Amino acid sequence: MNKMIIYKEWLKTRWALLGVVLTFAAVTFYCFLNLSKVVEIRGAELLWEALVEKDTVLTEILKYLPLAAGVILAACQFLPEVTHKRLKLTLHLPYPQGRMLLNIALYGLAVLAVIFALQALVSALILKQWVVWELVARILRTMAVWYLAGWAGYLFAAAVCLEPTWKMRAVLLVLAAGFVALLFKSEVPEAYNGFFPVLLLYVVLSVSLLYYGVARFKEGKQD
Amino acid sequence: MEEPVIVCENLTHYYGNRKIYENLSFEVAPGNIVGLLGKNGTGKTTTINILMGYLKPRGGSCRIFGEDVQRISPATRERIALLLEGHVQYSYMNIAQIEKFYSAFYPKWNKDAYYGLMEKLKVAPGQIISRMSNGQRSQVALGLILAQNADLLVLDDFSLGLDPGYRRLFCEYLRDYAKAEGKTVFLTSHIIQDLEKLVDEVIIMDYGSILVQESAKTLMAKYPGETLEDIFIDLTGKY
Repeated sequence: MNKMIIYKEWLKTRWALLGVVLTFAAVTFYCFLNLSKVVEIRGAELLWEALVEKDTVLTEILKYLPLAAGVILAACQFLPEVTHKRLKLTLHLPYPQGRMLLNIALYGLAVLAVIFALQALVSALILKQWVVWELVARILRTMAVWYLAGWAGYLFAAAVCLEPTWKMRAVLLVLAAGFVALLFKSEVPEAYNGFFPVLLLYVVLSVSLLYYGVARFKEGKQD
Repeated sequence: MEEPVIVCENLTHYYGNRKIYENLSFEVAPGNIVGLLGKNGTGKTTTINILMGYLKPRGGSCRIFGEDVQRISPATRERIALLLEGHVQYSYMNIAQIEKFYSAFYPKWNKDAYYGLMEKLKVAPGQIISRMSNGQRSQVALGLILAQNADLLVLDDFSLGLDPGYRRLFCEYLRDYAKAEGKTVFLTSHIIQDLEKLVDEVIIMDYGSILVQESAKTLMAKYPGETLEDIFIDLTGKY
């Protein structure tokens, strides 16, 4: 049954995922192509200088990709479930409803994690050619918050989709905007290192918003 | 005597301040095909939603196979086949994909029942359900609920959007299957003439209450020469 849940989610998301992966590949390629040109013409010392003295991580062009990926994936997974109240079909399946919802969300979070990990790995491998590992780690730790925003965007977008009333959707959108804005507030590299675990905990806890939406759906809440 | 499959007691529901019904009670005996009839807005889909646990009533309770409908276990849901209004399905799947998906959840899955109906469909193998006509979608939905081999079939407005040919196909398949296998069926429909040959028992609702709950034969014997549709209009009044 778990395999079939993943199969269903795969059928819903495969084309969107292809688009996301190609976009990630294209933008990442563009980012490092630009950097390679800089290194070719001015040398890797310029990258060192920028990283050490100018509060940049060189990969800012990638910043909002994870958030966009999270929102798009959530829309592809959850909009088909709520149009024509198709969620009733999913909830009627002879499978624990809580576990069903968790498996659907874990599919999305896992797929995003794989895409983010691949991008991080490719970035690390390329950057390592030009700068020392400590600076690569600094870049990756800064990018980690962007990936967290991707997960947050996914969970909040899913919660908005599952919520049956427009009033509460508006509330969720405000909460989402506030939380995501917080994740992008500082442009200083590694600014979030100290409280990254707290932010991660908040994102993990926001899975409960999906359950809240489904509970309200089952109560028959409507506009 | 066998326990009723569905028991609803003193159901009361409002949408805001609008009363749908109050103290509604009925039972569905095993092996019966029961039709819930009523004008638009009398609460037929509301009743289906309450039975399936998608709506919490303001008052009263319902049980299916002895379980409170707000907390039906997966094992009991395995015994209930559900057809939603409009034959709603996972329309991004094709007929093979949807069969593969559903069969994993129902141990008593009868593949032949599904593909027997699908052979009548003139669709390309990879055609997704959203690209099918209403009638073809209804056939897919019918195939899926027959293949589940459930003990109780719940169908909300099964004839919505279907032409007479598909409605007849649906009714004939459903009745033959239900009677041959001893299944219990609880359904709603707007097309009352379809139900004459299909249902054993009718529940006719009006705004706020049940007008009639008795066997179709007994009801029609009380109104000789009239069709079930005529009786329905006599009891509920014309618009």
